[in-house]
Amino acid sequence: MKKLPILLVAFLFTGCVTIPPNTFVVTPELLQQRRFETRRYDTIKEADLITASANVLQDLGFNLENSETKLGVLTASKQRDATDGGEVAAAIIVALLGGGAMAISKDQTIRVSLVVRPVNDSNGKAMTDSHFVRVSFQRLVRRTDNSVLAQTLREPQLYQDFYERVSKSVFLEAQKI
Amino acid sequence: MKLLFPILIVCASLLGGCATTNQRVLDSGGETQLQKRSYQSRIFETADKEKVLRAIISTLQDLGFVIERADLMLGSVSGTKLDGHQIKITVSVRSKGNDRMLVRANAQFNITPVEDPKQYQDFFVSLEKSLFLTAHAGE
Repeated sequence: MKKLPILLVAFLFTGCVTIPPNTFVVTPELLQQRRFETRRYDTIKEADLITASANVLQDLGFNLENSETKLGVLTASKQRDATDGGEVAAAIIVALLGGGAMAISKDQTIRVSLVVRPVNDSNGKAMTDSHFVRVSFQRLVRRTDNSVLAQTLREPQLYQDFYERVSKSVFLEAQKI
Repeated sequence: MKLLFPILIVCASLLGGCATTNQRVLDSGGETQLQKRSYQSRIFETADKEKVLRAIISTLQDLGFVIERADLMLGSVSGTKLDGHQIKITVSVRSKGNDRMLVRANAQFNITPVEDPKQYQDFFVSLEKSLFLTAHAGE
């Protein structure tokens, strides 16, 4: 009983989470991530590349939230269902075993930022027809107990599939289809 | 059970310590404006605003942020990082004299402001690498 106040105070303190050290340091893992997220496109102007990219985001059902074409920035998001068959099955098993209602994913907001920037030539000058596209996806998953899971999507396959679509769109843009 | 009452008082006093909304709106964490500005800002020897902004965007992306907003005229970029927690950052750029740019960043982690100068120093070191320029502390 005497330990109770100490426990309580300790509990209050653990509620304070602090920012992880090295949050603003570029680590080798982050550089690896940059590789997945970036593609180079040649023989296309910045305006055409950003238009082609915006079209891909629309193909995928994203709503454009914000853009600054002078800096090559596009931001978009979409809300979707997040129910996962496996998770539902697990929740049913837990409930059958008498574990009560387990929170499962309900819906999600997927956000994306897409940035186009010119490739620098050997003299450090920006090239007009070679650009890098870099895209990053994040999602906020809301669960049935209203808790929110925030994550950055890191699967290389996702980015590869996305860029296949951009490449197609760039081709269509070039052909003015 | 005798301890229950003191515990309640301790908890109530902790809650009572919470600031009111007005204080939250105008809080600046016990530091003066000058202190805050000094560790949140750096000066770069370039007059090219667009180049600095594009480097800021690249650096934030390298650090795992999703860019939310950017404005060339205003000279600002905002981004969010989600990794179990949420970090929001706004970086602004304005010219200082004819040949230098002042870059300022402010960040928040979940619901608290980031007030550790080391975090900002790390950010500016990452930005320096991307800009190939050395940052100077403000005058």
